[in-house]
Amino acid sequence: MVEVLQQILNGLTIGGVYVLIALGLTTVFGILGISHFAHGSISMFGGYVVFYLVTQQGMPLAFACLAAMGAGFVLGIAVERLAYRPVRDASPINAFIVALGLTMIAEGANLQLFGADQIVIPTNLQSVFRIGALTLTELRFYIILLTAGLILAMTLYIQRSKTGYAIRALAQNRNAAILMGVNVSRITMLVFAMSSMLGVAAAVMIGALFAIAPGVGEGLAIKGFSVLILGGLGSIPGAIVGGLILGVTEALAAGFLSSAYKDVIAFLVMIIVLLVRPQGLLGKHS
Amino acid sequence: MKRALVPLAVLALLALAIAAPQYITVRYYVQLILLAMIWTIMAHGQNIIQGMTGYVSITQAGLMGVGAYASTLLSIRLGWPVWASMAIAPFITALFSVFVGYPSLRVKGHYFAIVTLAFNMVIFIVLMNFTSLTRGEAGIFNIQRPEPLFGLVDFDDRVAYYYLVLTVAVVMTALTWLLMRSSIGRTLRAIRQNENLASACGVAVWKYKLFAFVASAFYAGAAGALYAHYIGFINPETFGVAQSLDAILAVILGGTGTLFGPVLGAFAVVFLPEYLRIAESFRLIVYGLLLVVATILMPRGALPLLGRAWHAAARRLGFPK
Amino acid sequence: MKSFRTLSKLSALALAAGALLTASPAAAQRELVIGVTDALTGPGAVFGLPQANSVQMAAREINAAGGIRVGTTTYNLRVIQYDDKTNPTEGTNAVRRLLDRDNVKFLLGFCCSGATSAVASFIRREDAVMLVGNAAERAITTQGIPNLFRTRPPADYTGQAAGAFVARQGPRRIAVIGSLEVGLYVQYLDAFEKEFAKSGGTIITKEAFGLRDRDMTPQLTKIRALQPDALLVIGYVEPAAFVYRQSLELGLTVPRFGFTSGSEEQFLRVVTSAQMEGVWDLKPTELTLESASPVGVRFDANYRAAFGSSPSPSAPYAYDQVYVLKHALERAGTVTDTRRIADAIRTATVPPEAVMRYLPVGGQMFDENGQAYTSNGAFQWRNGRWVFVEDLPSDPVDYSKFLRSLRQ
Repeated sequence: MVEVLQQILNGLTIGGVYVLIALGLTTVFGILGISHFAHGSISMFGGYVVFYLVTQQGMPLAFACLAAMGAGFVLGIAVERLAYRPVRDASPINAFIVALGLTMIAEGANLQLFGADQIVIPTNLQSVFRIGALTLTELRFYIILLTAGLILAMTLYIQRSKTGYAIRALAQNRNAAILMGVNVSRITMLVFAMSSMLGVAAAVMIGALFAIAPGVGEGLAIKGFSVLILGGLGSIPGAIVGGLILGVTEALAAGFLSSAYKDVIAFLVMIIVLLVRPQGLLGKHS
Repeated sequence: MKRALVPLAVLALLALAIAAPQYITVRYYVQLILLAMIWTIMAHGQNIIQGMTGYVSITQAGLMGVGAYASTLLSIRLGWPVWASMAIAPFITALFSVFVGYPSLRVKGHYFAIVTLAFNMVIFIVLMNFTSLTRGEAGIFNIQRPEPLFGLVDFDDRVAYYYLVLTVAVVMTALTWLLMRSSIGRTLRAIRQNENLASACGVAVWKYKLFAFVASAFYAGAAGALYAHYIGFINPETFGVAQSLDAILAVILGGTGTLFGPVLGAFAVVFLPEYLRIAESFRLIVYGLLLVVATILMPRGALPLLGRAWHAAARRLGFPK
Repeated sequence: MKSFRTLSKLSALALAAGALLTASPAAAQRELVIGVTDALTGPGAVFGLPQANSVQMAAREINAAGGIRVGTTTYNLRVIQYDDKTNPTEGTNAVRRLLDRDNVKFLLGFCCSGATSAVASFIRREDAVMLVGNAAERAITTQGIPNLFRTRPPADYTGQAAGAFVARQGPRRIAVIGSLEVGLYVQYLDAFEKEFAKSGGTIITKEAFGLRDRDMTPQLTKIRALQPDALLVIGYVEPAAFVYRQSLELGLTVPRFGFTSGSEEQFLRVVTSAQMEGVWDLKPTELTLESASPVGVRFDANYRAAFGSSPSPSAPYAYDQVYVLKHALERAGTVTDTRRIADAIRTATVPPEAVMRYLPVGGQMFDENGQAYTSNGAFQWRNGRWVFVEDLPSDPVDYSKFLRSLRQ
């Protein structure tokens, strides 16, 4: 029993990171119908920037994160303007291919600028909490707290604020929202900026807890989309539930079934959901 | 005049391809053309699902791997004749793709792409970890070339194998041409243009989509078998997501949905990195830029552009239209 | 009709272009070109780039010392290097380019198994000599390829010695976690397990991690519940470093053995020195300054001076290839007859310039499989760095026979 609880605890941390990535993807998809596949790699760029600012410039971690989120904000807007907007009216496949191209560019740029070696963002959180037979590192504890805080803030913002209302209106019925005076290009910018900031936050967590290396961003984007398929496209609660389920499934699969095939098992879960509920666990019928 | 020109150009290209090994003394180039022809088969397959049907599949290289391993294992483990193994490999790949395609096609558009990408990763992980069958990352050595034909043609000779690949590439190109002209091809294009409308017209859309996916897998399986028995060594490295992206790039660059665009694209995908010889990071950036710029500025690929340039040139030179 | 004429003009043009492509560069006099195929970029570059640099360095040294004297002619070395990106297709293309276009007969480098294996599968038919470096996949030297030689011993040669060493340290029930999808690690583990079982030890579980995995807590949680006497970590440094950190975080305080060949710097990026204290690394001796000969110390200093960074521990595998080739050319008295040159390599003794500490088989550097052997060593992390503790007893003669028995 302790082992099961420990595995769930192990999976929650990475699951939380999946949620942050998936939230960014799901809002972009909801508003623009774009699969922003480059999200993972561009987020990792933010993570690299934090690493650079902290280790080379001696900046405190919190400031570095703010600076990187700013960079993510600008990049997000630039990507939308330069790459996605020109193909907005073409077939959605074109937007996806542009997204693939952006991913390659971002991965290549990260490789060129920051090298192939893995990097770890230094923190001085070294202690470990032990509750009975359960263990949780201080770092993981804070990351879980921070993730929960970000998810809560994001949900409240979307549900309660006026801008959030406009975002939801746009996602539900684009034309009606435009007729009601919603400023599409402002909301689009905002959504890209918001998702990029969440992405950078996720990248910093990955970088502090594990490592940032070539391919990590791409892998996260794939996991993020798996979460969306699992939870339901464009659904915010779906992204939260799906992310946690994916994280915990992976940990349980590695712990009790097979560590070599844990990703395959997590993927099979997604396929089963797809066969039984093609719209995802919390998605609505279209 | 224009109608007569196309078959003539095709014949000329074919003649050039047949003559090439006799004129090229540096065998390295023969190898590159041979690989480009294998990639032509890959790209034709990718074109059926991506270009004709409008569904971007990111698992073409994974399916190529299925074909490569199927043919290799049949010939090495079961001792089948290489000819038989190579002939059956595309069918095994096609059968396998039914199980990939059925769940993947439950989602549309981008999400189909993501699911197929995940399938490519699954294929890769299984090839890596199922070591008792595939030898994992260590790979399989000494894969034989096909047995001599009538005791005359020895395929250990690279040029003989070149003609084998050329034959298969021509046959597969012809098959694609037939498919494009058939009623199935028209239905696939209807699905690309407006799936809901096609469905409303009473077309069993999912059957056609599955057919397109399975057909593309058949091509990938053939390419995989040809690759494995040519290189003589396979490991999962060649069949990852990065190579699937190359297949997409080949179709986009050459000309989505056209017959000869993917041929052009396949040659570009093989020859570009050999000529550029650039670091991996720059290769990613260049390929990524190509994808983005090509999609935005020439969504129909290079072939229609070339066609237009040809006509402009022809007008300048005073050819009648 | 007009269009037909244009077409024939076009095809003539194309043929001319083909002829241009095929024009080969004229061979320069008294210059001998050697080719390097290695991972210069991408994930394998950690191993490949230092190897390629080492070949350049050795070539410069040889040229500075008067070149290679074959008969009455003296040759200076020129190195052409291509990037195989650890990809089998790229590796094959790079070698074809060297052989067919650049007319190179001597292929060096080869850090990584995928690309190397692809080349090994056809090199037998070529008029060339291939010297493999760091690529450790065993099957490369089990095929009896007459023109292929390898300076690095296969992983299971080291695994055998490691199994005996760990058994002597006392643990009986060992849990393994590693890159079990990678051939060389599996071979290391198999040999380890066989040797370890001889003294009554058992391996209670084998957990895998992928190249990109950094969260090992699920696997380690499972291992913790099994209560092993010790942990064996086999895999690339980058994921392995996380195993060392997370095992302690989960309260798994058993002795830890490993086969990772990581440098201090690579580990300290991920784990603290305190978390590494006492970890063993059981690997080929390779280049470590403490165990190095004066030749090794000089190599290290020259490399730093030339490239501004420290050489990887495996870099000398490629450096030594150049000197092996130099002596073989001088003994064979030819630079064109690759069969005689291969024979000269097969019967060669260890060159005095070699950095690695080779254990000759029957007085010769390479055995009948074309395989060389170095000594294996036990290293332990003490106060922030790897300390060479002792040689691991290894028997190259016995292993060589075993390797021969694998030939099909």
